[in-house]
This record gives sequence, C-alpha cells and structure tokens, in this order.
Amino acid sequence: MQPSDEELYRLMKNGNQDAFAQLYERREPALHRFALHMSGNATVAEEVSHEAFVQLMSPSARFDETRGSLESFLYGIVRNLVRVVRRQGPVAEPVEHSFDPDILGELIGNETTAALHRTLRDLPERYRDVIVLCDLEERSYEEVARILGRPVGTVRSRLHRARALLGAKLKRLQTASEVVSA
Amino acid sequence: MSCIERITELVECARNGALPNSELRGHLKVCEGCRERWDTEKQLNGHLRAMRAGAAALPSSQSRREALMREFERTHRPRVVAMRIPARMVPSWAWTLAAAAAIVMAIFVGHEAGLRGRHMTSHSVQAQANTANAVLYEASADASALSTDDFVAIPYTPPLAQGEMVRMVHTEMYPEALASMGVAVDPEWTSNMTVDMVVGEDGLPRAVRISDSN
Repeated sequence: MQPSDEELYRLMKNGNQDAFAQLYERREPALHRFALHMSGNATVAEEVSHEAFVQLMSPSARFDETRGSLESFLYGIVRNLVRVVRRQGPVAEPVEHSFDPDILGELIGNETTAALHRTLRDLPERYRDVIVLCDLEERSYEEVARILGRPVGTVRSRLHRARALLGAKLKRLQTASEVVSA
Repeated sequence: MSCIERITELVECARNGALPNSELRGHLKVCEGCRERWDTEKQLNGHLRAMRAGAAALPSSQSRREALMREFERTHRPRVVAMRIPARMVPSWAWTLAAAAAIVMAIFVGHEAGLRGRHMTSHSVQAQANTANAVLYEASADASALSTDDFVAIPYTPPLAQGEMVRMVHTEMYPEALASMGVAVDPEWTSNMTVDMVVGEDGLPRAVRISDSN
C-alpha cells in the first residue's frame, strides 16, 4: 500500500528526501498542468509548480492536516501564485526559453480549440478552477469540492455555468469562421 | 421538468459521454434551444479532450526536479548550532572572579618556571640519557637491539622505519599486560609495575622494560 501524501509530508519534514521525491512525482505533473491552464503561460506554469514545492519544503510551511488534505494545500499555493502573477501583468519570457509561451496552443493543433483555451484563461477564476479540475483533469465533483473547499453543489453549478460561457464563445468562433469562409 | 433542469441533465450526459434518456431525446426533437445546447456541449467535449491531450504531452522539466532536490538537501542538512549565553545570564561579579583567577594562574606559572630552571641540570641529564638510549634503538631499527639493555621487543608491532624518532615513556602497567608483551613476570607481582616504554612516531610501543624504580 502506498503511503498517503500526509505520511510522505511527515517523513519529508524529518529530512527524508525520498519521501519528498515521491510526493513530487505524484503531485507535480497535475499541479503543473493546472498552473498551465490557469495561467495560460508555460513559463509561469513551470515557475509556479516549482515554487509550490519550494514553499512546501520550507520550514515556514503552514500545512495543517486537521484543516484539509495536502493536495488541497498544494493546489491552494498554486492558485495563489497564479493569481499574484496574473495581477502583475504579462510575464516577460526569458531569452534562454526556446519554446513558445503558448506551447499548449501549439500542441493542440486545432485553431478553434486553441482559441477556446485562450477564452478559458479569461474566464473568472471560480469558473476556470472547476473547468480545469473537472473537465481537464477529470476529477470527480467530490474531489474538486475537497480541493477547492466548496460544497459539491456549488462546484456542479459553477461548472455548468462555465461550460455555458465556453459554449457561447464556441458558437461565436464558429460563426466568425463561417463568415470568413463565406 | 423545465428546460433548465433538462439542460443540467444534458450537460452531465455530455460530460460522461452518455446518451440522453428517451424523455430527453423526445424533448430535444421539439425544443430548439435545448438541442442547440446539446450540440454545443458535445462539441465542447471534443475541444476539452484536445486540450487535455495537449497538456498531457507537455514535457516535464528534469532540471527543475534536480534543482528542487538540491534545494531540499541544502535546507535539510544538519546544522551545528552555536550556543550563546545571553550577557544578562552572566553575573557582573563573574568577570571580576575570572580576572582574579587569570592573575593567580599567571603567578603560579611564573613560579613553576623558576623552580624548573633551578632543577634543570640534573633532570635534563637523565632525560638526555633516556633519549640517547631510545635513539640508539631507533637508529638500528632492530628488534633484537631493542631487547638489549633490559628492553624487551614487543611482538606483532611493525618495525621502526630507518631514521624514525622514538620517545621514551615512563608509565605503569598491569603485570598481565607486561606478560602479554613478552616480559618475564614474577608471580608475586600483584600491583602495577613502573615501566619504560619505547614508542614510535606512530604512537605504537615497540619495546618495554621494567623500570629501576621497582
């Protein structure tokens, strides 16, 4: 049986590097994707997911098991960091980065999907959260409710509203492309 | 059931990739608004799937991982914590006492040095004689030579190197320990015996003899 995140965290706090590595392998990919979808910028996503683990290992980390899961705690850090970065405005790309910041847009390939992804970035945070976690990360309503610290009903209604907003955008994109092709 | 409630169900069907039930299908035939929403939801699913695939194809940064592990190692390295006694914990009279102790110590050391100077001649002659013997043994670096002059070479010790300096150590030993070094021990010896020991530069004893003071 695999140790829980919280068990790994306790071991990590006692200086166990293997536990930290295990925790990183387990949680970093999803956090990185979450940061990418939330920020829409590959550089920001990398920085933010890295910083989340730096904060986790810091002696001043304020994780309290009695108040929630470690996963929620990590998602909370990433959300806050993305919020701070977005508030600061556009991120300057370092010269040594050879990839496009809109790497996901390139990977998607489809123009409409890429445009839709850009729309996702502009959604209010409460809608972006649920779209990313429920539909892009394929988490259940219960898991997302736990991560966000919201009731299941709230998560469901926000998701439906978010999908309606994206759907409306999709229709506009389709109409625009029809006009161009005509 | 209202259209709003039906749309809620349609969204869930689209998300789960399931077909609407017969009642909903019947409604979709007659309600244009719900049908449009159903079509949009299905298309949206396709786009979201493409976004998922795009994000899953992102390479993970190995250098970031390594940097984190190095950072972890650095922050969790055991540290030597220097303890500092707060100044207010040391009473003011302690400094006076410390100064007085230092003065007494200086007087005592000076006095001792004077006494030593007076007895230097006889002591140094004896010491030189002992050192001369030790150096003589060392010069030959031969266990049999060490066995001369009542010295017994200690077995199982490495031979002295040519030119290696030796020291003469005046100490006390149990008769059993002396026996284990190859010294002939009288069964009547019950207390510690005073011995002279030849010690090499590496600190290992090479020869031993029962001191005359016994």
